[in-house]
This record gives sequence, C-alpha cells and structure tokens, in this order.
Amino acid sequence: MENKVYLEMRNIKKSFNGVKVLKGVSLQVQKGEVHALLGENGAGKSTLMNILGGVHQPDSGSITIEGRDVKMSDPRESKANGVSFIHQELNVVPDLMVYENLFLGTEIKNKFGFLHVEEMCRQTADILGRLGVDIHPKSYVRELDNSYKQFIEIAKSLLHKSELIIMDEPTSSLADHEVERLFTFIRNLKETGVSIIYISHKLKEIEEICDRFTVLRDGELAGAGIVKEFKLDQITKLMVGKAISNERFEHKEIQDTVLLEVNNLSTEGLYKNINFSVKAGEVVGFTGLAGDGRTELFESIFGYRKKYTGQIKVRGQVLKIDHPQKAVKAKIGFVPKNRKENAIIKDLSVIHNMSLSSLSKFNRNGLLDQSLERKRFRYYKDLLNIKVHDPNITIDKLSGGNQQKVMLAKWLEADPDILIFDNPTQGIDVGAKQEIYEQILALAAMGKAIIILSSEAPEILRLCQRIYVMYQGEIVSSFNGNRATEDMIMSYATGAKREDEQIG
Amino acid sequence: MNRLANPELKEPAKQGSAMGSAKSRLTWIWSEYSVIIAFVIIFILAAIVSPRFLDINNQLNILMQVSIIGIVALGMTVVMLSGGIDLSVGSVLALVGVLTVLALNATGSILVGILTALASGVIIGLLNGLLVAKGKIASFIATLGMMAGARSIALYIAEGGSISGEVSGFTAIANTELWVIDVPIIIFILMAVLVYMLMHKTSFGRHVYALGSNEKAALLSAIRVDRVKIAVYSLAGLLVSVAAIIETSRLNSISSSSSGMQYELDAIAAVIIGGTRMTGGRGKVIGTFFGVLILGILNNMMNLMNVSPHLQGFVKGAIIIVAVVFQKRE
Ligand SMILES: Nc1ncnc2c1ncn2[C@@H]1O[C@H](COP(=O)(O)OP(=O)(O)OP(=O)(O)O)[C@@H](O)[C@H]1O
Ligand SMILES: [Mg+2]
Repeated sequence: MENKVYLEMRNIKKSFNGVKVLKGVSLQVQKGEVHALLGENGAGKSTLMNILGGVHQPDSGSITIEGRDVKMSDPRESKANGVSFIHQELNVVPDLMVYENLFLGTEIKNKFGFLHVEEMCRQTADILGRLGVDIHPKSYVRELDNSYKQFIEIAKSLLHKSELIIMDEPTSSLADHEVERLFTFIRNLKETGVSIIYISHKLKEIEEICDRFTVLRDGELAGAGIVKEFKLDQITKLMVGKAISNERFEHKEIQDTVLLEVNNLSTEGLYKNINFSVKAGEVVGFTGLAGDGRTELFESIFGYRKKYTGQIKVRGQVLKIDHPQKAVKAKIGFVPKNRKENAIIKDLSVIHNMSLSSLSKFNRNGLLDQSLERKRFRYYKDLLNIKVHDPNITIDKLSGGNQQKVMLAKWLEADPDILIFDNPTQGIDVGAKQEIYEQILALAAMGKAIIILSSEAPEILRLCQRIYVMYQGEIVSSFNGNRATEDMIMSYATGAKREDEQIG
Repeated sequence: MNRLANPELKEPAKQGSAMGSAKSRLTWIWSEYSVIIAFVIIFILAAIVSPRFLDINNQLNILMQVSIIGIVALGMTVVMLSGGIDLSVGSVLALVGVLTVLALNATGSILVGILTALASGVIIGLLNGLLVAKGKIASFIATLGMMAGARSIALYIAEGGSISGEVSGFTAIANTELWVIDVPIIIFILMAVLVYMLMHKTSFGRHVYALGSNEKAALLSAIRVDRVKIAVYSLAGLLVSVAAIIETSRLNSISSSSSGMQYELDAIAAVIIGGTRMTGGRGKVIGTFFGVLILGILNNMMNLMNVSPHLQGFVKGAIIIVAVVFQKRE
C-alpha cells in the first residue's frame, strides 16, 4: 500500500464550559486504510470526530484533506468534503420507513419534483443486500430490532459517495456474525480507496480489521502505530494504563433459594414456552442472535409488555407484573439496552438520571433531599469511575460509555434482588468493563440473582454459571458455563443445531 | 514505542481555547437566563419610553392584570413540560366561573362557592388527563374537544349571557389589598412558589420532566406514566379554577360567552416566551413567571403609548415568534 495521507488533523483543541476535552490532538489517516481511534471512555474520541464531522468547532487547530486546508463549519460542509459520519448514538426516526430514513434530507425526486419512491426503495434494497441485511425497504423502523437500526445508520452513510467514513462504535449492538458481514463490506470499501476511522472498544475487531491506530488519553495523544506491530496487550496498556485479563471469573456459591422462576411464558410472535429459574447468588446468561426474543422476554418479566401467558414466580409467589413499577416493588431491576431510546432522560442532569428509579429513598417530607442525591452520586462516581466534571449538566453531554455507567448506577441505587442487564457494557471501555464485571459478581456474592442478556459470547462465557441460548423465540439449549465454548453457543444460536434437553 | 503521528505535538498552548471557553460560558448564561435578561431589557425600555411606567401604582396594576393569566400559565407550564398542551383552559375558566356563581347563589356560602370551583376544575382536568393517558388521545385533540364542550355547557347553563353573584362578601377576594398589594397578586406569587417547589423539589416534578423528555425511558424507569399525566392535567384544572375564582370575584359576575376567551393563547405564549420547549422535558417555572410579566409590560406599554388595541395582537405575535427564534439558536 502506498502511503498517501488523506486526512490530517493537527493540534486540535477543544473545551466545553472551560473544561479542556482535547488538549492538542493530531491524527493522520491514509488513503484506503482503516484507522482505529482508541481510548478510554471520555478520552475525547467522539469529540474529535464531531469536530471532523462539523458538529463542533475546534478552539484551535487545523484540518487538511489531501493537503487542502478545510474548515468544517457545519455537518453539511463536512459531507461536501467527502466525510460521512456514523454516530455513536443511533439517530434513526422510528416512525419513518426504512427507505425514508436512508434518504432523509437527500430524497430522490423525479422530473416532476415528486418523490421517486421506487428508485429510493431499489437503492435501499441494494445497499442493505450488500450489507447482508434482509429487511424490506418499506417496513417501519420502530418495528425493527436494534441491530437493524444500526445497519440502517451504516447504510445511510454509505449511500453518499464519500472518501472517508467515520464509524463511531458501529458494532455496539451487533452480534458477532453481523460484525463479520460489516467487515466484509469494509474490506470492499478499502479496495476502492475509501478511508475509514474506526472507533470501538472491542479489541478483537481492531486486530481483525484495522491497519493503523491512534490512542487518545484524557484528551491527549497517547500513541499511534501499526496494528500488526503491536500486541493487543500493549495497545490496551496504552489505552487504560494496565493489562486486562480475559479469564473466566470465579464464582461464589449459589444459594438454594429460587428468586425468579418462569413457567411456560409465551407471547404470540415474540417468544414461546420459556422455562427457567434463577437462584440467589447465581449469574445466568441469555444469548442469541438478533430477533431471538430475549429482550422482549425480559421486558415482559419487567412488566413493560403486558400481554403474555404463563407464570412468573418471584420468591415462590406467583405475581402478575403488568407495570415496571410492580416489578420494582417485587425487587426486580432492568437495565435496558440501547440507552438513548430506553434509558437516558437527556434533559435531566446526570445526578437526576442516577436517582430517577429510587426517588422514594430521597424523599424527606415530600421534598427531595438533593444533598443526599449528590452524596450517592459521588459514591457511584468513585465506584464506577464515571468521568464527569459537573454532575449538574444534562446527561447527554457525557461520553457514551459514561452515560452507560450512570445507567448502571441508577439500577444499583434502586437496589433490587433480581437484576437484569441487557447489553450492559454497550460502549464501555476494556478497563471499565473489567470493573463492571467485578461489580456484577460482587452483587451475586451478596445473594442477588443476576441475569445478563448479551450477544457477545465471550462476555457471557466469562461471567455466567448457566447459559441459555435462544433462537427465534425459544430456548434451544442451556449450558453449564464452565463447559460451554463459543462454538457450541454459535451452533445453537444460528439454529444449526437444536436440542431441548440440557447438557451439563 | 509510540510512533507519534505528528512530531510537532509539543507546541505551546495557543490563546484560542481560553477565549473559546469565555464565549461558551456566555452562551450558557444566555441560554439559562435569556428570559430574565429579556425582561430586564424590556423593563428598562418601558421605563425610558414612558415615565409613568415606573409609577408604583402602574407596577401593581400590571401585576394585577397578569395575575389571572399567570395562574393559568403556571398550570400550562406543567402540562407542556410533560409533553402535552391544554387548549381548554379558557373555556374551563368560564364554565367553572358559571358553576361557582350558581353554587354561591344557591347556598349563600362563599366557602361552598370556592369548593365548587376547585372541585369542578379538578374534575374537568381529571377528565382531560384520562382522555390523554387512558384514551391515548393526543392532548391537542382531547383538550380541543374539552375547549368546545366546556364553553358550550357554560353557554347553555347561563343561557348565553352573564350571571352575577348575589352574595356580598364574595367580591372581597379579588378586591382587597393586603398592605398595598392586591390579593390576586399575592395568590399568583404564592401559586408560582408552590408550583416551583412542586416541579423542582419533589418526585412528581422529576417524573413530569422525565415523561416530557423520554416517555419510554420514563416508563422503563418504573414511573407510573399514566398517573403522572392524569395528575398533570388535574393540576392544570385546579389552577384554572383558582383563576376562575379571582376572575368571577373581581367583577362579581362571569360571562359565559366572553370570559376566558383566548386565555389559552396568552398562557401558551407566556410559557413559550419563558423558554419551555413545546415538546416537553425542558423549561422552568421561573421562566413562565417572567414570561407572564413580559406580556404584562408589553400590554401596559402599548396602552400607555396609545397603540390601537387592534394592533396589540400583532405586537404580541411578533414577540412570541422572536422569543422562539432566540431559543432555537442554542
Ligand atoms: N457538549 C458537551 N458539553 C460538555 N462536555 C462535553 C460535551 N461533549 C463531550 N463532553 C466531555 O468531553 C469528554 C470527552 O467526551 P467524548 O464523547 O469525546 O469521549 P469518547 O472518547 O467518545 O468516550 P466514549 O468511549 O465513552 O464514547 C467527556 O468527559 C465529556 O463529558
Ligand atoms: Mg464516544
């Protein structure tokens, strides 16, 4: 590959409200390479990309594309300079159809000035087909699974001819095989000379797809290099300052009390005949591919979905849970996936997001004890290492990973006995992931029942004592965590194999 | 081992960032306090244009004139923060007024009159809330229906005209002064403080903001979203009934055809000028308070300057649009 520099960002500085977020960062991307941009949560990756994408203006510094000085004064300008941006948080409009989302703002019109629907649908089907995604261009986005929404975001950026594509955590809600399809696509793009800036906290992906990397740390450049010349450990160390182990966690003893038992739970079209139980102190995992129904299953158990048949028993008592409030009364907690849609209250401050599900704790004669709220937040800030300068700012100002940590804090504060985590480490950096896993295991050791939903097999394998694999709404297999392997999980998750009795 | 992509990294810091942060702090102050700044500017302008403006009697007069709309606008703020809107406030004010006078005249008891007002206001608000929360009807439609319905019933009961109170003490409510301040002003300020406390210091307020900002996330946070909505509209109804008591008491009569006419527009205008976002989740009670005062000063100024009453609507409209344009800029 010839080393032709495509993009150069030099000495970029940016502060928000007097807090220095980027302290003179430089980044160089070559033509036709996949360049990994790495760093801890809050290191400044998204901010740097927002500057390149014209969302924010730098306080100082320069950007050149193929030697030309450019000024990205707004997102349109950036697009005109050949830059596409896949944002960290999904921006799809749920009430529009797939093709309408793809062409939002760039609709194709026919010669009479009317929308050229067929052409847009054709192009939509074409691009989704090339990404290996099978959805109808005229289905409504609100009815789609999360990973499809992420693919729509990706497809949107591919529609327009661009020379540089920024992918800010494009795989945070994709399953492994979907990631593979994305990578095939990225490789094809590379062939045609497109450069890609790839942000991810999944080091396996970096190793697989990226050519060179740049690491940011606290808004400064911590290092850069060629991926192949470094071991992943070294890169991790650059990012978080320490090596991270990948070993399975040791578990404490499981107690005999069954906290949650589910019998024959079914909802037409979502999942059927679900049976399982979780004991105090146990960590149970549910995994599968998109559309396996696990999220819907636990949304029902949490009372968000009401129309189900079958039985939910909490501590041996049959409960009719038809509202999340009732679930919380029964001491069930649920950290939903896709925080932007399901969890973040973007107009409330960081502290107020943390306390939202446990306000009764802060109630003093009808008024909220705000100093207690601050105190509790400081506790979680230290515990989970939440990076925030002023917790009174609205939560959307936090970096993605730090928003996720606040959501975890919110449910830790609610202190349930049964805690369901759906994709809990979405957007969390490798170092913090380790700490969060340790927190989760500490909860189990305290006698809580933990349920983890994840499409990342390694995460499930490291954490769980029992693993259920779901396929198209059914539990097709269950494993003892010690004996399971990624391949075993995959063969059941893809429907290649199925067997209803238990192994191990 | 770090192959730095750029060798000239250790360049000394430039001045730019310090200047940038000062600027961003300024925009922050502007976005947080723009209503108050606008209020101060308009206040000073009014004082320059018309010397009579600063007269204490004129000041109290302004406050007196805005107190009724102000109380209605407080309720509207809560509804709009929750992501809804209440178009029925004007008609409901007329209906509650009519019912109050009827109860007053029938029993001769001021207390019964007041209780009738409060109860009917809450019940109508509750009805709005049920339509929105349980009937899943868009608040715009539900309260538009209530607007037409309530006005019609008020007209029917009063046979299209006004009805007057026959109990002597009732007018004292709106026409008494404590020291030099009229009671309606005191009630308005008191209500503003109470609604402020409710929205910023209690769980209910937190729930309303959460609901207006992201309803699904609020539900998944175990908030009883339906109940919060019902409570929001009931509270708005309650505040309308307080305003109705003052309105009726002031002239000792209520007109089924003209009382409360277009109050919803003035209330919504005050809320918007006060910086509350139309789609909910963002805004402040203090903002509405100053929004109401701004509207009051503009009216007063135009009266002092003898602007034709027919043109006053135009000026008000322009101000609302300017206010919204400024908010959009953040
Ligand atoms: N609009 C804003 N106002 C104030 N602070 C901000 C704003 N945007 C970002 N920040 C701060 O800048 C820092 C860097 O955030 P950024 O989103 O760039 O991190 P990141 O590297 O993308 O992290 P993550 O991996 O969690 O996504 C954070 O501490 C964040 O709080
Ligand atoms: Mg980010």
